[in-house]
Amino acid sequence: MKKSFIILVISFLSVLLSASNARPSDLAQLQQELAALRAQIADLKRSYEARIAQLETRIEDMAKTYTIEAAKPRVAAPAPIQSAGMGRYFQSFNPDVSVIGDFTYHTTDTKEEEFRNQFQMRQTELAFSASVDPYARGDFFFHVEQEGGEWHIGLCEGYLTLLTLPIDGLQAKAGKFKVEFGKANKYHLHNLPWVDFPNMVRNYLGGEGMSEPGVSASYLIPNPWDKYIELTGQVINNRNGMSFAGGEGTSLCYLGHLKIFHDINESSSLELGASLMAGPNDDGLGRFGTNMTTLEGVDLTYKWRPLQQGLYKSVTFQNELLFSQHDRPFLDDGADIIEPKAVNSWGGYSSLEYQFARRWSVFGRYDFSELPLSSSSRENAYSAGITFAQSEYCFWRLQFKHTDRNFDKDSNEIWLQCDFGLGPHRKHEY
Amino acid sequence: MRKLFLIIFIMAWLSPDVFSKDTINILTTTEDLKSIAEAIGGDKVKVDSLGRGYQDPHFIQAKPSFMIKTKNADLFIRVGLELEIGYEDLIIDGSRNPKIRIGTPGHLDASEGVGLLEVPTTTKVDRSMGDIHPMGNPHYWLDPENAKIIAYNIAKRLSELSPSDEAYFQENLKAFNRKIEEKMVEWQKKMEPFKGRKVAIYHRSWPYFADRFGLKVACELEPKPGIPPSPGHLKEVIDIMRRDKVGLILMEVFYDEKPARFVAEQTGAKVIIVPNSVGGTDEAKDYFSLIDTIIGKIAEGFEN
Repeated sequence: MKKSFIILVISFLSVLLSASNARPSDLAQLQQELAALRAQIADLKRSYEARIAQLETRIEDMAKTYTIEAAKPRVAAPAPIQSAGMGRYFQSFNPDVSVIGDFTYHTTDTKEEEFRNQFQMRQTELAFSASVDPYARGDFFFHVEQEGGEWHIGLCEGYLTLLTLPIDGLQAKAGKFKVEFGKANKYHLHNLPWVDFPNMVRNYLGGEGMSEPGVSASYLIPNPWDKYIELTGQVINNRNGMSFAGGEGTSLCYLGHLKIFHDINESSSLELGASLMAGPNDDGLGRFGTNMTTLEGVDLTYKWRPLQQGLYKSVTFQNELLFSQHDRPFLDDGADIIEPKAVNSWGGYSSLEYQFARRWSVFGRYDFSELPLSSSSRENAYSAGITFAQSEYCFWRLQFKHTDRNFDKDSNEIWLQCDFGLGPHRKHEY
Repeated sequence: MRKLFLIIFIMAWLSPDVFSKDTINILTTTEDLKSIAEAIGGDKVKVDSLGRGYQDPHFIQAKPSFMIKTKNADLFIRVGLELEIGYEDLIIDGSRNPKIRIGTPGHLDASEGVGLLEVPTTTKVDRSMGDIHPMGNPHYWLDPENAKIIAYNIAKRLSELSPSDEAYFQENLKAFNRKIEEKMVEWQKKMEPFKGRKVAIYHRSWPYFADRFGLKVACELEPKPGIPPSPGHLKEVIDIMRRDKVGLILMEVFYDEKPARFVAEQTGAKVIIVPNSVGGTDEAKDYFSLIDTIIGKIAEGFEN
């Protein structure tokens, strides 16, 4: 309506304008011009109307899309990250805190065992970890364990990791940590693939592996093949009682570890490790620092996990060997100390774990171990078990182990284990 | 000792790091991010992805070889919302690459600015709720409108890292957005007949997709996110599907098909196995063919 009115006014004005300038003699010409103008205006009107109609359809189309958008139950909260993260803001500067319980029932035919045919809260791990500052992170692992009738809390690991050292590929650690000797030594009870540590670890490195205060530096060696080749050097206190000087040791131990990781294809990988550790030992005569122990280790791990069925299937084949040269002085008949002689002994294990369903896996392990001070004392152990992972944070495990010893009675053991964790415990290494 | 140093020196010299780089090395956690980063970065970038489209993106493992990939990256792009919580820290720490640590220009959370779904509204979030993501559902890349946001974030960050190529990245961003808009018309048209239809899903990978294309999620085969289907829960699913006449079960390529097949048998529904990521199947070569594949299979499922 408005449009026609405007056009009418324009035509009227233009007629008026042309009429005012008209002379009677030009009347015919004027009429001609008027007709031309009318035609022009009609043309204009048509073209405008067409364009307006076009615009209206487009607006309608847009309105339709708009209604679809508006009708969507889009976001529950307008600023979801902030609203969901409110709790996190308050906790931002608190470390990640986790508690992991390791509960067992252990039955054995060895009568001397403290927790024979008993339930046991074998260990409770308290883990704290966070960034310390822009350059470093800190990790603490406390273990609460029962000894006799009493509960003790101990520091299993507590270390600072320097993440941004000026040398490319270099990382350093300071504090108390599980030493980089082989593969199994670095496990905590709750992430062992078995209920117990292999005999080799227990006989040479300690009941739950070797963890000592010290410093560590590791370097990713650049190579043309872009492989993960890591060289680690560690200097630690010499207080390990199994192979070194024990609780009264005042000297230091030195350790080197080389780790090479190779992806065979996207579902399988091979990891090869070599370790070397040396330090003075307790010579058994109350003299420290005079005789040396050297330990060498090699480890080889094959893993298979097809990516598409990764939730349901996997295989881990893990093997380790350890060789020990433990200098030991001997007394002659006159009780004089004679030159030390190295006790050469060794141990190792081979373990195969097969995950056959999302929650289920079975495993078997063979252990062979001599003793650091007696190469004629031997243990052969055969273990088999099954694990049911209720979720990522809780699993149940049943394990049977038979141990043959040539220096003591054989033993048969059965464990039922349940591990459960609270909190965001940082995932362990691959 | 001297020999060792010599070997290390030669290896360091041989390593590709020492050659000057013109391209920006991008490492993404998923192939979807890789596809979008390639579209935006063009020939100015080299992109690699840690995860593969046919694996569960929640369970990527922190392999040492990934640390080497991360070491060589100039830009690390993640989906965010804790999808990478199981491995990201280990890989970044293990890589010893200070350029891509969280909070640096080399670390990009692609979810910045995305309108999130399923942000928990309970005052407390804990594991009794399964593998819940406290900041919201992380599968946002399955809404093509969100792909535009991801592309915008990537273009912005690449422009910051290489300001001289800003115009190039912006041009690629425009082209990407234009293509999304064009395809969106096609996708919406294809999904139009099925608007409002109900589907059952395995995992909550699909809410963003369903929301964009007008599907309704009737139920999930997982009783809670990340928790495998139990017989009791499947019974409930069957009841819901019968009641709501749900004819389609939508599931990812990496889950066990048995529960879905069982439910399908009981309800007469059809199981549609579709990639939820680029690379999930051979057809899903890039972001556009991913959405093409999903829509094609859903349409086929509804039609037959």
